[in-house]
Amino acid sequence: MSTATGDGAAGGTGDTGGRPGAATRAARGAGAVAMDLFRKSWFVILILVVWWAVSASGLVDPYKLPAPGDVLSTLGTLFTDRALLDDLGATLLRLVEGWAIGVVAGVLLGILTGGSRFLEDGIRPVIAGLQAVPTIAFLPLAILWFGFNGTAVLAITAFGTFKPMALATYGAMHQISPTLMMAGRALGARGLFMQRTLIFPAIVPSLVTGLKMGWSFAWRALMAAEIVVTGAAGLGGVLELGREIGAIDVVMAVILVILVVGIVTEQLFFTRLERWVNRRWGLVGAR
Amino acid sequence: MEQPALRVSGACKTYDRSDHAALLPTSFEVARGEFVSLVGPSGCGKSTLLGMIAGLLAPDEGSIEALGKPVTGPGDGRAIVFQDAALFPWLTVFHNVEYGLRAHKVPKAERRERVENALRLVHLDHVADKHPYELSGGMRQRASIARALVMEPEILLMDEPFSALDAQTRTILSDELQRIWLETRPAVVFVTHNLIEAAFLSDTVHLLSSGPGRIVKTYDVDIPRPRDEADPALLELRHDMLDRLRAEVDDAAERRAQVAEVSAL
Repeated sequence: MSTATGDGAAGGTGDTGGRPGAATRAARGAGAVAMDLFRKSWFVILILVVWWAVSASGLVDPYKLPAPGDVLSTLGTLFTDRALLDDLGATLLRLVEGWAIGVVAGVLLGILTGGSRFLEDGIRPVIAGLQAVPTIAFLPLAILWFGFNGTAVLAITAFGTFKPMALATYGAMHQISPTLMMAGRALGARGLFMQRTLIFPAIVPSLVTGLKMGWSFAWRALMAAEIVVTGAAGLGGVLELGREIGAIDVVMAVILVILVVGIVTEQLFFTRLERWVNRRWGLVGAR
Repeated sequence: MEQPALRVSGACKTYDRSDHAALLPTSFEVARGEFVSLVGPSGCGKSTLLGMIAGLLAPDEGSIEALGKPVTGPGDGRAIVFQDAALFPWLTVFHNVEYGLRAHKVPKAERRERVENALRLVHLDHVADKHPYELSGGMRQRASIARALVMEPEILLMDEPFSALDAQTRTILSDELQRIWLETRPAVVFVTHNLIEAAFLSDTVHLLSSGPGRIVKTYDVDIPRPRDEADPALLELRHDMLDRLRAEVDDAAERRAQVAEVSAL
């Protein structure tokens, strides 16, 4: 947890951290940026080159490993006839819905029961136990309950998010400063008012890290479920269809899309959210 | 006969996992509008005593009455200021000060007026919209004092409020606290390990000693207000208290040596 917060803080302060002389920095600027870019991307480039070389050499059957260019052009086709766009939309919608349901349910359960030793001691081990089971193992159950459809997939996604969120909430509540709790009690905060105005805001910085974890659990559960429940639109269904018809370029194109979605949400959403919360909560500031 | 603001009768406390008493049975009273300090070295039970008065800790035995009613929990005319300010980091100064009023369902217009008055009193009206991390340690502690004062407490409890501050800020805030107290006149129980601070601010100083914690001497400070920290009478009082504390420390060392001798036999 602290590692992730540290990452956010480093990202937030790195470029203002006491380097001497603006002029020197400007002179070094362009070169430094290029160097930075290279340091972070050389391995990706290497993979692409090896991939291209192997497929160009003809040593591997193109039905097992298509050329990078072929995968890219397939990706283009898939997007231009809009089918993949619809699938991507359906998957993202389900992801956001399932994740949001899981987050709200997990945090609510954590906050409402975490204040009581009795409730927490009873409930927490059960959730920790469930967390030890891969969420996808509950898919058959979800299908029997909700049918072979998008609802079952949504339920699995929500459940996959719910477990780590509830555990993260319990963990965060144990880290609230006792003085802060005492200050709140001494000012007259009780019960629901205290949960809403003190406990919840106090755990937000740790929850943001939990949100990211919940998102990755949701993403995994969703993909696994979509590959099985292929009736509804979604990226998982396209992957499975690609396997059925033996179209490896489609399979790899979809994997690329999944990869990009992961990176983009992480960078665009969670890193920004973390930075904003850290600043707002004074975790990177005067102290 | 006026009822005291606070009556502590035989309150004592032992912590789990330690056989020695954190605080032996202790009794004293605080009159309405009186400024009382509890002074002593760490481990003398002064913060424990304050916690019990605040209603955040229950005494093992004995009782504590605030404004004629037994203390069973926090609040109820008592406000507390902590050593590390304990401001809510996600709220602005304004909303921090407003928090207790919201908890007590005070209407919005009244909240606004009372918060603004409290902030003016501690000279923080210009930073009402800042967050705690944007403030210096001294300003944070001012905000924390405003958060307590806005509740218009009859009893203000302060747990080493200036001990995390640098010497200059501490002197300035002591002065300010004297002024604020003269303007608002709550009864104050002020915990500190700084003898001159206690002497400067208080009507009555209870000197505590450790091992086990207890009040060893009580001083009445009859110096007219407003006072000056450089007043020779204060320095003399500080000297007396220091002598007394030294004697206590020597006694304690001797007692420990005797115990060691006895157990070695």
